[in-house]
Amino acid sequence: MNKIYTSLILVFGLIVIWTVYLTNVRGEKNITVRYYTIEELSTKEVSLSKVKVGGLIKPDSIKINDEDQLEVSFYVYQGSDSLKVYYYGIRPDLFKDDAEVVVAGAFDDNLIIATELQTKCASRYEGDLKNIEKI
Amino acid sequence: MISQIGSLALSISGGLILSTFFFLFYYSIKKNKIFLEIAERGLIAICFCIILATLCLLNELLISNFNLQYVAQYTSYETPLFFKFTALWAGQAGSLLFWTFIMSIYSLIYINVTLKSMEYLKYSSYGILSFIFAFFLLLSNFIANPFEPVSSDIIVQNGNGLNPLLQNVTMAIHPPMLYLGFIGTTILFVMALSAIISKSITFEWIQSIRRWSLITWTFLSAGIILGGYWAYNELGWGGYWAWDPVENSSLMPWLILTAFIHSSMIQEKRGMLKSWNILLASSTFLLVILGTFITRSGIISSVHSFTAENLGPLFLSFLSILILFTGYWVFKRSDLLKSDNKIDSFTSREGGFLYNNLILLLMCFIVLWGTLFPILSEAWNGEKIYVGATYFNQLNVPIGLALLFLMGIGPLLSWKKTSRSTLLLNFKIPMLVSFISGIIYAIFFGLSDLYPLVTCMGIFFTATSIIGEFRKSYNKSKNRNKSILQTIINMFLSNRHKNGGYIVHIGITLLFVGFIGRAFEVEKEFNLSPGEEIYFANYIFKLNSITSEARDNHYAFISDMDVIDERNSLLTSLYPEKRIYFYWNPDPEKRQPHSELDIYSTMKKDIYSIFSAYDAEKNQGYFKIMINPLVNWVWIGGIVMVIGSLFAFWPSKRRDYGII
Repeated sequence: MNKIYTSLILVFGLIVIWTVYLTNVRGEKNITVRYYTIEELSTKEVSLSKVKVGGLIKPDSIKINDEDQLEVSFYVYQGSDSLKVYYYGIRPDLFKDDAEVVVAGAFDDNLIIATELQTKCASRYEGDLKNIEKI
Repeated sequence: MISQIGSLALSISGGLILSTFFFLFYYSIKKNKIFLEIAERGLIAICFCIILATLCLLNELLISNFNLQYVAQYTSYETPLFFKFTALWAGQAGSLLFWTFIMSIYSLIYINVTLKSMEYLKYSSYGILSFIFAFFLLLSNFIANPFEPVSSDIIVQNGNGLNPLLQNVTMAIHPPMLYLGFIGTTILFVMALSAIISKSITFEWIQSIRRWSLITWTFLSAGIILGGYWAYNELGWGGYWAWDPVENSSLMPWLILTAFIHSSMIQEKRGMLKSWNILLASSTFLLVILGTFITRSGIISSVHSFTAENLGPLFLSFLSILILFTGYWVFKRSDLLKSDNKIDSFTSREGGFLYNNLILLLMCFIVLWGTLFPILSEAWNGEKIYVGATYFNQLNVPIGLALLFLMGIGPLLSWKKTSRSTLLLNFKIPMLVSFISGIIYAIFFGLSDLYPLVTCMGIFFTATSIIGEFRKSYNKSKNRNKSILQTIINMFLSNRHKNGGYIVHIGITLLFVGFIGRAFEVEKEFNLSPGEEIYFANYIFKLNSITSEARDNHYAFISDMDVIDERNSLLTSLYPEKRIYFYWNPDPEKRQPHSELDIYSTMKKDIYSIFSAYDAEKNQGYFKIMINPLVNWVWIGGIVMVIGSLFAFWPSKRRDYGII
């Protein structure tokens, strides 16, 4: 094997190992975040500093603070399980009942204090046809 | 009627695929050229059928034939004509047909131009191409047929219409550009594999595949940049790149394609790295299919989602077959791919290209690992773990900086070996300029943040090195009888590949200027009533009024905000809007709010304003302001990149005509 190839492969290998190490071993801090289902969390009695959860916004559960419209609480649900979420900040335009959201933040006492709130990008505008007449 | 023609055209092309396979098989036994020709005509007929089907769907979209499910879902009577046209690629079924449509156009060019001068690639090319067509036609005919009628017990009075976020010119151009790039990799895959299968890696072939890779690269780059531009100007989170799985899916093939463009140069010049190049060229296509799998399977949570039909398993099977096929042939032909020469020195131009490959591959690996990590970790121990932007930045920023410096180092190295004296001579000036820029930067901004400082030094190093190269070629083409302008034009035209490449590199250095700005972004969220003001980032933001207005297809709350700078003079007025689309709908669920941004943009910084909510009772608006330095440099860099690669691609009179 040529010297130059050997050293290149070596460098590549080292950085690959570093990447794997970073995500797996050292990963707990701010690089990775574990995704939980709502079912998993709603049965847990622990506090977690960082979680990521996806689900739908429970209809009629959005409560916006009248004094400060940036403050909101709502429930996300998946099937029959649901969780309360608190969020302070600007909400995405698509934030409304039954919208699909991904929230990330801390979990404590059955409440998610979200620091990130994303709705699914509407690049695909799917849904049932709206203006129809049955025959 | 028209929709039946389209549907029929799709079915016929499905049938034609079978016959093409049959004649190819027959040719492989009988070796009679006539069968190959029949297969060729079959393929051409397929392409035309698909083009016809696409035109039919377009017609139905334009005349609003809501008897088709697809038309009813993505357009309405209110949709402007231009966006009825772009609805062609707004949904799953349409975008798959559109994909096959672009593939047909590329295939027609490939068959009629490229293969005319490379007969020996025909048989295997047709085989692979037919297989790929078969897959997409299978999808369009049976899984996501755009000509599917609405269910027979309803009459659609009006369609659903196109999402307001997509009613934007950038968003209309971005998908076709990206698709042109993605699908161009199909031809690279076909060329790479057919060359090894038919054992004919010729000089002609490497030149031709390089030209295909350049045009693919141009479209892909333009598509990615336009996507970022759209996100920045429409979505309102103030950035252009978020390391989202869908974005990553477009970046990975781009990285590998860039690696291929460089390493194929070594093959062209010195006959080395043949098997490596085959792997790179075919991987671009494999990564595109992987990306499509990620996007359309919903397996990884992304803000972009396609929830309709799940095409994941199909794309995964297709991808697995392609990988096995590629692996098999590369392994089987390994002796054909032996190198003609050896790389002797670390400080050679070849070495430079290898470092480039190493860096791009590493970046691709990091992006791939991060994107697939939720799947991998779930398979490993059942915990679905995501990695965030921190991961991607932490690893990619230092590697990206190495790439920035390498762009300046590469041109200074000579082929085979660079002697120590040349090395010193060539590096002297760029090093000096780079150090001076670093010192000046440190005086103005301090040493607290290392990355922007190193980026600044890298930009000056690389820019000086490239300008030095231009100077050298200028001196070479200098002639007493010509004016300076003529000399410059001659110089640029004399070696388009090289000069085009340097222009692209300048574009990338400009991108890095924009990236520095990310380290200095600041933002603030606040509420104001008319007449009130707030101080932030050396500016006073004063809200004059909030007015409302009913427009054609939405209702708008318009804010009027003055930005006053530190000299107490009016810098600009911003008018971000809060719009409600479908506001006439009695069901509040169906109304669609949309924040229309207003951006004051200069070369130095952007003042980015979002009107996020309006409290009518208190007459109070909720705003977010971001100061984003240097963002414009990113767009300019992108434009320069595309111009450079078009320049490199444009055929020069000498020899390039006819070789595509």
